[in-house]
Parts: sequence; structure tokens; C-alpha cells
Amino acid sequence: MNLTKHDPGTEMEMDMTPMIDVVFLLIIFFMVITDMTQQDLEDLQLPMAIHATPDKPTPGEFRPVVNVDINGVIKIKREQYFDPEKPDNYKMLREHLADVSRNMERDDKNPKLPGDALLIRADESSAFKHVQKIMEQCGYKGIQIWKLQLAVSTPEDKKDK
Amino acid sequence: MSMLKDIASQESKMEMTPMIDVTFLLLIFFMCTLKFKTLEGKLAAYLPQDVGVNTSDAEPIEKVEIMLQVIEEGSKYMPFEADRKLWDGESKRYVYGSDRRIRYTVGPMRTFDLEELGKRIATMTEVGGKKRPATIDPRKGITYSDVAKVLDVVLTAGFEEVTFVGSYEKQ
Repeated sequence: MNLTKHDPGTEMEMDMTPMIDVVFLLIIFFMVITDMTQQDLEDLQLPMAIHATPDKPTPGEFRPVVNVDINGVIKIKREQYFDPEKPDNYKMLREHLADVSRNMERDDKNPKLPGDALLIRADESSAFKHVQKIMEQCGYKGIQIWKLQLAVSTPEDKKDK
Repeated sequence: MSMLKDIASQESKMEMTPMIDVTFLLLIFFMCTLKFKTLEGKLAAYLPQDVGVNTSDAEPIEKVEIMLQVIEEGSKYMPFEADRKLWDGESKRYVYGSDRRIRYTVGPMRTFDLEELGKRIATMTEVGGKKRPATIDPRKGITYSDVAKVLDVVLTAGFEEVTFVGSYEKQ
């Protein structure tokens, strides 16, 4: 009966290839579905509006976003641009908006003005004065962004959550 | 010569462990950063173009001005269980209850009801065959949510151009 015989000298090796294949496939899957454009959007509770147009940015589209949290802290691409606790008279925000304005396409009717819209996302309970301050900065010379979009959630959004 | 033969016959093995470690780390990173795409909506609005250098030659059309005033602030409550646990009395997320009262004023008309406001302004969208712009004038204490609701009503009523009045509040 040779079946019970076991040679302890024989090295047992696991075949790693299928596991590595599967892991690579998983990585590729997660890389594909992770949408980096969503990094601009802070986790905020948006107010609900029934007749809002759905926000579907095309990949690679130039879409400036400004986030305002409930305390009035302004964040753009995860970076803080204004904190009401440490007011800097909106200097950082203005510089950023001037950059954004320069990169915008010109308006068809008035080539002096930028033609793209600025998306403002604010928490539903944040005071509107914070948003008005952003609007004020938009009116400065060298910025002159005049098209705005206010982010809201739609009834379908709420159903999903 | 026999040495060369020895080397050739040896099975060359790549050390796989570090690669598998890195691969797993990458996998964990992507799994952690995964956030499912949420579809949001947006409401279009404009800022007054006649501020600053640019001035338009178009003849002025009478605007429909909607003023928002807080009459009763209303109670604040935590809508999310996680926030309720974290809440230290201020700074965390909250929403206003249904006892919040906002007064909407359009010319001589005053109302607390958004539906009524919508019906009223729906009759004011045009003057002499020309589309009238609407202006939202939020006063002290108005939140983003209050403005978004009014903007929603104004756009639904048929206004195409909605602007905002400048800030009344000092920082």
C-alpha cells in the first residue's frame, strides 16, 4: 500500500498564477469604475428640486465646481479656499476664479465674457450669504463669470439613497 | 564548461511575494476609494452682466423681483443617525423643520406658500411679447435650500433668465 506513504522531502508549491490573474482583473475592474471626475464633488446634503436638469458631465469636459459646506467653508478639489474662521477677504478664491475664467471658452454673444458656467454646490442648510460672496467674487474685473449653476438633488436621487 | 551547463539547467524562479503584496495593496486602495456615481441636478442662473466693465446696450425690461425674508427661523434637527451621534451642539449637519416660515414678496403680493408664488409669477413671465428676467433677492438668514426651492419654482413658471441681487449681509 504505497498510498499512505508520504515523502516529507517533497516541496509543496501552490500555483499562484490563477490568483494573480483574478487579482489583476479585480484591480482593472475597480480602476475602470472609479470615476475620478467625482473627486470635485464634496459630500454635501443638497436641497431637492423637482424640475432640475440632470447634471451629466461628459468625460474630459471643463467643469469648474465650488463646494460650500454648512459652516461656509469653501472647498475646491478637496482643497480649502476659504474659511470663515480665518477670513482672507476671499483672495485665494478670487485668484482661483480668475484662472478658471481664463480657461473658459468665450461667450458667443459677447466675446469679452466667459461663456461657461460655474457650478456651485452648497449644503442645504448653509447660509446663502456664503454663496452670495462667491457670486460677488465672480463679478470682479478679470473674472466676470456670469453663468451659474446651482447643484440640487432630484427626487430620483433621494429614492436611491 | 560543465558549470555553464549547470546554470542553464537550473530553473530560474521569480520572487512573486512582493508583487502580490503590492497588487493586494492596490486592490484595497481601489476598493476603499470606490464611490458610486451619484446623479445630481442643476438649476441655471445668471449674475447681472451690467456690473463691472461690460455694459449691454439692450433697453431695460422690467424685472420681476422676488424678495425672500425669514419670518421664523424654525427648529433645527439632525436628519441622519450618524450625525446625531457626532453632534456636539453646533457645526454639524442639520436641516430646518417644517415650522420654518419664509415670506416671499413680489411687488405688492406677499405669501408664505411656494405654490402660490409659482402661480402668481407664472402670469408675469412676459411683457409686450418680451421675456422678463426674474431677480431673487435673499435677505438675512436665508439658506441655500430656500433659494434653490424658489429658483426651482421660478424656472418652472417659465422664466428663462434668473439673476441674484448682491449680498446684503456683512461677513
